[in-house]
Amino acid sequence: MASPEIHHLFHNPIADHSFSADRTTVAVARDSTIELYGKVGNAFKLKDELKGHDKLVTSVDIAPNSGRIVTCSQDRNALVWEPSPTGYKPTLVLLRITRAATFVRWSPNETKFAVGSGDRLIAICYFEEENDWWVSKHLKKPIRSTITSVAWHPNSVLLAAGSTDAHARVFSSFIKGTDARPEPTLWGERLPFNTVCGEYLNNSAGWVHSVAFSPSGDALAFAAHDSSVTVVYPGGPEQPPRAVLTITAQLLPFMSLLWSAEDEIIAAGYDCEAFRFKGGEGGWQLAGSLEAKGRPGLGEAREESALNMFRQMDLRGKAKDDTQLKTVHQNTITTIRPFETSGDRVTKFTSTGVDGRLVIWAT
Amino acid sequence: MSIIPQHTAASLSDAWRTINIDALEEDSPLNFDTSTLRPPQSEISEADVRGLAGQVRQLLRGGDTEGALRGCLEFPVYNGTDAAKDAHLQTITEVLHSIKASEMTPLLQTIYASAGGSELLDVLMKYIYKGMGAAAPPARPGGSSAGVTPQPTGFSQIGAGRPGAGNENVGAAMSVLLSWHEKVVDVAGLGCIGRVMADWRRV
Repeated sequence: MASPEIHHLFHNPIADHSFSADRTTVAVARDSTIELYGKVGNAFKLKDELKGHDKLVTSVDIAPNSGRIVTCSQDRNALVWEPSPTGYKPTLVLLRITRAATFVRWSPNETKFAVGSGDRLIAICYFEEENDWWVSKHLKKPIRSTITSVAWHPNSVLLAAGSTDAHARVFSSFIKGTDARPEPTLWGERLPFNTVCGEYLNNSAGWVHSVAFSPSGDALAFAAHDSSVTVVYPGGPEQPPRAVLTITAQLLPFMSLLWSAEDEIIAAGYDCEAFRFKGGEGGWQLAGSLEAKGRPGLGEAREESALNMFRQMDLRGKAKDDTQLKTVHQNTITTIRPFETSGDRVTKFTSTGVDGRLVIWAT
Repeated sequence: MSIIPQHTAASLSDAWRTINIDALEEDSPLNFDTSTLRPPQSEISEADVRGLAGQVRQLLRGGDTEGALRGCLEFPVYNGTDAAKDAHLQTITEVLHSIKASEMTPLLQTIYASAGGSELLDVLMKYIYKGMGAAAPPARPGGSSAGVTPQPTGFSQIGAGRPGAGNENVGAAMSVLLSWHEKVVDVAGLGCIGRVMADWRRV
């Protein structure tokens, strides 16, 4: 396993990050701006700053083909940044929400995006040609609390959402005129807008932090605040699910998860490191950390001189400096995203966290 | 008329900050019974709890401590009267007290390794916290710490009356619970504490 590539961008929390399709540009949400970093040699250098929000930016996503960037913020707005020769041009999206926007993701076909919000709804936004404007339709029922994350099914119609009312739900976001009629899936056959295709809760019902569809779209995983990951295998339209498997961990809760393959999930969160889960319909288990233990050049490997040791004891009352965590990230990991895929396996993924680090991991 | 807004006494004071805007909104969570979001729990009566306590005591007398602990952890009282809940807490405390310190860790490990063991230890953790809360002596009404609402955290030694004979008993019970707490965290990890706090099923 190759050692992770670590980039310490700044000393601020990173709410979310997104790479462009060619993997040379990364958009990072920092406070109320979005910073674009370009790859120069082995490092990432600040290229551009997108200013347009006036409160904390909560989420950012780059569409891989069109290069458009969508951002959302606690100022209740979402902006679509169109690339042009003179820089990025922002367009305001009519979200019609009265609370903070919390999470945004482009659909795989890039004609729509979904914005989760604290207003107990998800705004599905699409472009209206005749008005030259991004408009939204609301997914409202039966959401009872803030949406923490959304994830798209590969068919760009089904949308999974995790909420602080402890439910992970699967909705249809079918927009007439924008979407072609989707093929029937295990989640449902007829899918008018706001059809609830599934509603899942785990035993102890913690907040749902993250949701994700498997690469085929035939399974759903969600991570909740009770340190668990739950995997749902649907049983077909209008049927109870074939299997709902919950893995409770001895660890702190996971903030973000992704499927690296149909039989592998990677999750990371408050433990500041990423963990691998392996399994299938028969059962899932924790397969260990992705962190290579005992990396050289960190912590204990450093030789201390006697003078230094006594100085430390004098100044701080202890001989060892133990302010460094043994993990690569020095604080909670908030987002992990696929970076490189080969076939249907994710071979590399990226993580960002509260410590301002961007790390590229090999799975 | 001036375009400068007129400041009145009402707009200058910050009383408007305390208006609960959630109460005014129709579909706010305040006006919604959140318990309907979750599957209902079956109610357990006090008689059931007493019956279970009898069986558990029998197992304890027979020396089957694992069976006794399992027996009471498999039937947590999530939905029941306060009397039933307290009776079950008492049964569990009794079992915890009767297990020797050297047996704790191996016992917890076998329970954790078995199917559904993680859930059982979560239940145990809930009762440990409940026990800590219950074991704290009730604060004197109108006590010395004015302005601070005394919380039964289990650690409130201040404002809990004179240190006396009563406190010693409580201290002993607390030390048993604390050592159990330590052992459970060793086996089930910090995730266990997180689950107890996140869980809506209260014991």
